[in-house]
Amino acid sequence: MGEVVLACEGLKKRYGGLWVLKGIDFEIEKGQTKVIIGPSGSGKSTFLRLMGLLEPPTEGKIYFEGKDVYGSGLDLNMIRAKIGFVFQEPSLFRHLTALGNVKLGPKVVLKMKDDEAERKALEALKTVRLEEWSHHYPAQLSGGQQQRVGIARALAMDPDIILFDEPTASLDIELTWEVIDVMKDLARRGVTMLVVTHELGFAKEVADEILFMDDGRIIESGPPEELLKNPKTPRAREFLRRLIGGV
Amino acid sequence: MFTLENFLFLLQGVPNTLAISFLSFALGFALGIPTAIVKQFSPYGLGYVADAYISIMRGIPVLVIMLLFHFGMAGIIPMFKSAFLSATFALGLRSGAFQSQIFRGAINSVGRQQMMAATSLGMNRWQAFRYVILPQAFIVALPGLGSEIALLIKDSSYAFVLGVLELTKYSDIVRKATRSFLYPYLIAAILYILITFPVANYLDRLGSRLKTKYGLR
Repeated sequence: MGEVVLACEGLKKRYGGLWVLKGIDFEIEKGQTKVIIGPSGSGKSTFLRLMGLLEPPTEGKIYFEGKDVYGSGLDLNMIRAKIGFVFQEPSLFRHLTALGNVKLGPKVVLKMKDDEAERKALEALKTVRLEEWSHHYPAQLSGGQQQRVGIARALAMDPDIILFDEPTASLDIELTWEVIDVMKDLARRGVTMLVVTHELGFAKEVADEILFMDDGRIIESGPPEELLKNPKTPRAREFLRRLIGGV
Repeated sequence: MFTLENFLFLLQGVPNTLAISFLSFALGFALGIPTAIVKQFSPYGLGYVADAYISIMRGIPVLVIMLLFHFGMAGIIPMFKSAFLSATFALGLRSGAFQSQIFRGAINSVGRQQMMAATSLGMNRWQAFRYVILPQAFIVALPGLGSEIALLIKDSSYAFVLGVLELTKYSDIVRKATRSFLYPYLIAAILYILITFPVANYLDRLGSRLKTKYGLR
């Protein structure tokens, strides 16, 4: 058994009168890749934002490397710095170049010297194969390139885990591939990843486990070959039939 | 008769007009950004102080503030014995309130997603604001700041009432001396346009150019 990086217990979230998450138990170990699938509105993105400490839960506990994140007076920002997050929406800092985007976290949060942060940033941009684009502004990059810079921005912080919230949902198919390729690379290199995506090819190839979410709960989970071929719950069966059939 | 000599004489008012406008703009900038930040974060519940400041400045005619400073408060605050400083501070204080509103709108236009991205890197609210939100907000604010400078250049003419030797005062002197009622004011009007237009227009263009470059709305 590897070391558990991120976990939660009885996680619930309510917006107004609406329970979006209805009790989730989850854990991910160092080096694992887990993929979350499920219909829209099932709470996937909310779950990810909670695990990224971008929103507090209504009930339940989140553990980062065994420590109760909200229960022990920890500095949340220091933990956030260790949890990378790649968003679905364009989220690059628009006034900074690709390099500036990737370098800002190491400089401001990790207090690295400028040249040290720059070296770190260039290394991360190389990992996502964008070192030649480092001096371009987000508006001059394609959607796929922007997402890769977003991945590099997370990587440059040396995170213990990276969360991906449907990183290819708003991209054309070819741009999707270039992002997915980079993510596969990371998974093979042992980066711990929790990914919301409907790219089943990615899930099949690199996921250790797929979680199927519906109506604010994880209703089924298992290794990809099992869950994708033989879903046990009717909801997962129906969802996968539609997803693969494209109907 | 209005002569070239009269025109050159009238031009001597321009430096003071520029000085009042740009100094009051600088003062307004120095007040506007902190006010916008206080309104945004309301540290120690101080948001209401910013609100009060803005409401007061929005509610009093700037000429009344000038008169109040120069004639009413010179005894308490010696600086206000100077008509020039009274005018500059009155305009600057009002501009601080207006500029804070310009910055507030600009800050809100930058959007939650940018704040969220900064938070995900582990930045605290202040760091996110300083390195991510404010630089973008400043670009968005440029056209608004251009209008504010134009407003200050025009309203610097109120300083005439306090006896400051600026453009309007000079045109009035020329009017009295030459008994020409049309030309002194007409020339002043044209000069005001010649001063305001390039400044405001430059900030407008700079704003749209940078917005396009950075893909800002």
